[in-house]
Amino acid sequence: MSPTGYPWPIETARLDNGLRVVVSEDRTAPVVAVNIWYDVGSRHEPDGQTGFAHLFEHLMFEGSAHVAKTEHMRLIQGAGGSLNATTNPDRTNYFETVPAEHLELALWLEADRMGGLVPALTQETLDNQREVVKNERRQRYENVPYGDAWLRLLPLLYPPGHPYHHATIGSMDDLNAADLATFAAFHTTYYVPNNAVLSVVGDVAPADAFALAEKYFGGLPALPDIPPAPDGTRPARPTGPLREDVVGDVPAPRVYIAQRTHPFGTPEYDAVTVLATILGNGRGSRLYQRLADGARLAQPDYVSAYGVDLAHAPAPLIVSATARDGVNAADLEAGLVEVLDGLGDGIGQEELDRAKALLATAWWRQVSTVAGRADLLSRYATQFGDPARAGDRLPAWQSVTLDALAEAAAQLRPDVRVTLSYLTEESSS
Amino acid sequence: MSLVAERPGPGAARPYRFPEVVRRDGVVAAHLPGQALAVAVLLIDAGAAREPEGREGLAAVVAKALEEGTGERDSAAYALALESLGAELFTAADWDSFRVGVQAPVDRLPDAVALLAEAARTPRLDPEDIARVRDDEATALRMDWADPGPRAEAALRGDIFGRDKRHGRPLNGDPDSVAGLSVDDVVGYHRTWFGQPGTLVVAGDLTGVDLDALGATVFAGAGEPVEGAGGPLPVVPRTGRRVLLVDRPGSVQSTLRLGHAAPYRAHPDYVPMTLAATVLGGAFTSRLNHLIREVRGYTYGIRAEFGQSRRFGRLLVSAGVQTAVTVPALVDTVGEISRTEAEGVTEPELAVARSWRAGQLSVDLQTPGAIAGALATLVVHDLPDDYHANLRAALLGADEATVSDAAAKHLHPSGLTLVVEGDAATIRDELVASGLGEVLDAQF
Repeated sequence: MSPTGYPWPIETARLDNGLRVVVSEDRTAPVVAVNIWYDVGSRHEPDGQTGFAHLFEHLMFEGSAHVAKTEHMRLIQGAGGSLNATTNPDRTNYFETVPAEHLELALWLEADRMGGLVPALTQETLDNQREVVKNERRQRYENVPYGDAWLRLLPLLYPPGHPYHHATIGSMDDLNAADLATFAAFHTTYYVPNNAVLSVVGDVAPADAFALAEKYFGGLPALPDIPPAPDGTRPARPTGPLREDVVGDVPAPRVYIAQRTHPFGTPEYDAVTVLATILGNGRGSRLYQRLADGARLAQPDYVSAYGVDLAHAPAPLIVSATARDGVNAADLEAGLVEVLDGLGDGIGQEELDRAKALLATAWWRQVSTVAGRADLLSRYATQFGDPARAGDRLPAWQSVTLDALAEAAAQLRPDVRVTLSYLTEESSS
Repeated sequence: MSLVAERPGPGAARPYRFPEVVRRDGVVAAHLPGQALAVAVLLIDAGAAREPEGREGLAAVVAKALEEGTGERDSAAYALALESLGAELFTAADWDSFRVGVQAPVDRLPDAVALLAEAARTPRLDPEDIARVRDDEATALRMDWADPGPRAEAALRGDIFGRDKRHGRPLNGDPDSVAGLSVDDVVGYHRTWFGQPGTLVVAGDLTGVDLDALGATVFAGAGEPVEGAGGPLPVVPRTGRRVLLVDRPGSVQSTLRLGHAAPYRAHPDYVPMTLAATVLGGAFTSRLNHLIREVRGYTYGIRAEFGQSRRFGRLLVSAGVQTAVTVPALVDTVGEISRTEAEGVTEPELAVARSWRAGQLSVDLQTPGAIAGALATLVVHDLPDDYHANLRAALLGADEATVSDAAAKHLHPSGLTLVVEGDAATIRDELVASGLGEVLDAQF
């Protein structure tokens, strides 16, 4: 086992304007990944502006000072590159992988929209992308069975006012109310070099990458005093177990059991990650063995347990199963609870070894592409101040002990659980 | 604010080289130095196209049944043995092949391949397990069919190819066809098709890997190769456009699936067809995505592509649009397909398509999984070892006339089938009034 999860070189620099630049050279393939994390996500959104960080992400592809509307996509794809961006509660990331000779183009485009988005923002663009995002909401959350589970779980897990209380996609009402000035202010406030990390991974010499970063980003001014997101680290404990039963047009009953655990990046959360793997990853997992195979309560393709890797407050652990034909939601829920409670009776070394082996494979798969590595480096620089800490995660998982697991399991107490249960229309009538 | 106004040009191009293809008695491999993980896939000529009539979904059930233990160990012991290596087994059938594969840390590859061989060659196939797997698969399909998309896809496929053809029915069957499978069907399919040696594809850091030993493991006791399934099927586009309506009461979106028959994967026009489809609906700046998403705001995304297998292919356009704009979105979509057929592509659009597709070869083919997939393409479609290296040159060399000719030859806007899965009560009258084509209720 490698002593580090990141056996590639890492070099870092900070421009005078505060932009952190991370370079990791790897000449295996003639491609280079560019990845920028902005330390702004839906956790920064005040009441009435839910969904704004994500809608803003869309606007970043619609042109900037020297880039015409839709030209960004055309230039990257026309260079042979792949690109995208995502927004989550913690942050917004933008990334592209291009043939190495087009690195400079990618950096120019990223700099232009970091420093020059506002002059290109128009009402027409906002109106168009608002409709696109509303269609995204319909497609992903409203038009599919169980699609709204995440929208329902978050407010149960996090109290009003907590930065994770609302979902990143936002509400239709807030999206409809979004005005142009708010987005201009959003960019001015958060899309500044000292609130970003730029990672460049692949077929490039570090000195060249640093020089290009200076050339394209060096002239952008820093913004002092970026307003922080509301503090989510000390949420009030729920007074008791919370639950929501949803009767809907779903093909089978499904139960989610969730709770807050620890922030991503802590040793406690590493134990939760291993525990989730023991619970729900693979056919050798407890949920599979006991609910899908053993008691035959759950459909085998639909058992899962995973942590959502959020770093700015205790992150959720979500455990879920969907009922086999003829099984009702109550029996399924009882089965899930039994598996969760059964963790307290002890976990075997064999289970721990299995989980560690699977996590190692998942890790190496993530770092098998330059894009995967670039995103990791941006994450660890943004959230933990040092990209090299990316190499610590895999060893941290490997060092989780049975005692640490027992401690993590002991915290899966019924009194802090959130239960979301979907009932079919027939079964509830 | 100080931005650099001038857009930089490219640096010196660094050519991508597809790794050398190593062939050894049934093994096709590529050496990827430094990769921690390796992938091995056994390709068997037993894809869904081999399923007997009325047994749609059989290969998919066999795929699941292979994971239910082997002659040597029960399913729990098998899962533990495999997962303790950090290995993942995947079993799947597409139209042309049945694939049993593992991904594992490269030093565990021999053990993982031995487990792969055990599942593929000597599965337990206990009748009780098979019945359970079949029922689970039927339930899983019912779950899947509750989402928008699968019913529309079934309707489209049936209309394009004919429901009397295997490929006119869904790849994984439907909930009823799967529920109707018997234990004997599953055991018989395995007995008929899994005696052939197949081909083992390996991608990873081969420094310490004995390919001959891996081959010996998976080919031990195998019989003769099976006879090929036959050559390409004729492409018969429909004359006259039609709209098939799949009711999804209360749906906030209409799921659109448009298409018609097209040539097979190894067709000589593959490159210009791919580029024409990229201009039409492949790239983000494609005609369809630009108009329907970026100008109109009707959708989160729309795409067009030629989906091609060994004996047949089709044009497929997919999108989800807000219910209220279903008809205008369809009119625009058919309009862009028609324009592309009639007028071809322009050089600026083609330039993006060309370099994007060529660049994607280097961007996408980084991982053992991706390289294994590329090797499998060579095997399944009988393509030469230098195929990927030449593909890059062919993409970059395709000129406007050739691509426009391919668009004219292989796009058939007047023979399109337009499947609309949405709230029929809300959209039917407008669809009928649109004159897009005869409106029928879908059969599947």
